[in-house]
Amino acid sequence: MIELKNVTKSYLVGKTQRVTALKDVNLNIKEGEVIVLKGASGSGKSSILSLIAALSKPTSGEIIVDEKKISKLSDNFASLYRRDNIGFIFQKYNLVPNLSARDNILLPLVPLNLSAKEAQEKLRSVMEMFEIAHKAETIVKNLSGGEQQRVAIARANVNNPKIIIADEPTANLDEKLSLAFIEILRELKSLNKTIVIATHDPLFFGLDFVDREIEIHNGSIVR
Amino acid sequence: MKNKINFYLMEFAINALLRQKYKSIFISVVFVLLTFLLTSVFFISNSIKYELNATLDALPQIIIQATKGGKHYDIETKEVSNILQIEGVSDAVARVWGYYYFQNAGVSFSLVGIDAYETQYKDSLTKIAHKYEFETEEGKPSMMIGEGVSKIMKKNYYKNYFNFIKNDGSLKRVEIAAAFESETELESNDMIVMSKDTLRDIFDMPDSQATDIVVKVANPNEIATIASKLQFMYPTAHIVTKEDLSVRYQNIFNYKSGFFLALFVIALFTFFIIIYDKVSGLSSEEKREVGILKALGWRIDDVLKEKFYESFIISFFSYIVGVALAFAFVYLFEAPLLRDIFIGYSELKPSFELSFVFDFQTLFLVFFLSVPIYIAATIIPSWRVATLESDEVIR
Ligand SMILES: Nc1ncnc2c1ncn2[C@@H]1O[C@H](COP(=O)(O)OP(=O)(O)O)[C@@H](O)[C@H]1O
Ligand SMILES: [Mg+2]
Repeated sequence: MIELKNVTKSYLVGKTQRVTALKDVNLNIKEGEVIVLKGASGSGKSSILSLIAALSKPTSGEIIVDEKKISKLSDNFASLYRRDNIGFIFQKYNLVPNLSARDNILLPLVPLNLSAKEAQEKLRSVMEMFEIAHKAETIVKNLSGGEQQRVAIARANVNNPKIIIADEPTANLDEKLSLAFIEILRELKSLNKTIVIATHDPLFFGLDFVDREIEIHNGSIVR
Repeated sequence: MKNKINFYLMEFAINALLRQKYKSIFISVVFVLLTFLLTSVFFISNSIKYELNATLDALPQIIIQATKGGKHYDIETKEVSNILQIEGVSDAVARVWGYYYFQNAGVSFSLVGIDAYETQYKDSLTKIAHKYEFETEEGKPSMMIGEGVSKIMKKNYYKNYFNFIKNDGSLKRVEIAAAFESETELESNDMIVMSKDTLRDIFDMPDSQATDIVVKVANPNEIATIASKLQFMYPTAHIVTKEDLSVRYQNIFNYKSGFFLALFVIALFTFFIIIYDKVSGLSSEEKREVGILKALGWRIDDVLKEKFYESFIISFFSYIVGVALAFAFVYLFEAPLLRDIFIGYSELKPSFELSFVFDFQTLFLVFFLSVPIYIAATIIPSWRVATLESDEVIR
């Protein structure tokens, strides 16, 4: 379902210098699979997630999702692709700090211009599923870390995407909340979502519902 | 779906304005001030332009004043018949008029004498002459006064009559018949109209004399020719044509419009400072927000549409408030402070009121000078950020 073919990614730093983040990466993820990308900080995990979400383009190689060449999409179509396929849980959550939880969760639906009934129904169902309904009207910067993460998860799921991407989801959580997050992932897996998690948190290693653990080192897949 | 108004987007835009409360308030205040100032300046200059045009229209084509060594003297009325002999002259009228300084109030009135049976040299006087009674029922002399004059006289407890002080120090009592509404304020607000006889009495002027003679010419193209003929006939007289007078009036107005231009430039300058600030880029917080929205599946279009709503709502709202304030300021409160800049000779005109001249052009002009410029200044930097890879913006 998700295929990375000979993907290389380098970033321009300063005027001329380039940093290579990914070197000739090949990866194949099947529908409904849960993948854990592990590796030290700076190994290239986030870069892979960005490429899958079409938030950036590979320097060379291609990325194919559902038989579509994601790496060739124009900016507009990349947005449409994200809107319809991707739920991204960012490392720093990337919530709009002065908006309420409800309004943050609503953000991916805004350009869709759904009927009020449809939008309300989608909102209600994710807010209940991720237990944030009681904080719906609270401005997110006043929420606790765990609550902020649940808002981020609800927002990633509100448009019912097939692919869930999470970047270091437990980096800012204590162990109890981290375990709660892992239970949420288990639930998402049962909904047949394809899930890609980048993490170096040992809590994710050896989980029963994780299909594969892939180790990245210096921009290459080690195993 | 494409063309339907997206209320979620609009709600988001309104929310965005409320979220940045202080920034929004600051922008509104500056914007309201700008549109208010621009609109007021336009309203005032429109009113003045209207007044001046009406005044210019009413100017006599040629005026003949008797002078000796450059000093004005009264002219002999018998010259009227001589002037009427000139080919091309359609009418000549001897005028009796002058300024009267009212010491208590420190203002000058223009006193104008008319004869009801004469053709008046000005349309506005014809109207007054129709209503004018020479005398009260008891045979006492009476006059019509402009509204400004009326206000001043009332302030000084002259409700029914006024005592003019003559040259020899004696008093001349003239009854007030009525106050007339003036069509153009500049022209006649300070005017007092009475019979020529009464005015001659006040000014101590014999029947055989008049202040000046105004000449009407059948063909306006011949004004200059006839003026030079008159100059030839009366070598010592001072001949003034409508054109000379127009230039004098226009000069006053040009000085005004120069001032108005200065104000305009200041206002624009302020505006461009704000725009400069905007174009120089979004804050890192604003950039990040655009990046987040893009990452969540908003297209560049969606981001720009939202920014359009945001800037349109705040600028249009401020525009409406600014224009409404200008309306009240200029026409209800008579533009305190600002009007003094425009009406330099207001001391002569005791109660100059800005006449209401409404035109959509002004409103459109102010609109196009403010709202679209602000919208563009908001959208362009947002567009720059929205076209970046969002990965870079939110990292
Ligand atoms: N936008 C960027 N500009 C420059 N260098 C970058 C950028 N993003 C990532 N890198 C570099 O690419 C390498 C991989 O980064 P990343 O994918 O974030 O790794 P990880 O998520 O495993 O920590 C690092 O050396 C990082 O500094
Ligand atoms: Mg990372």
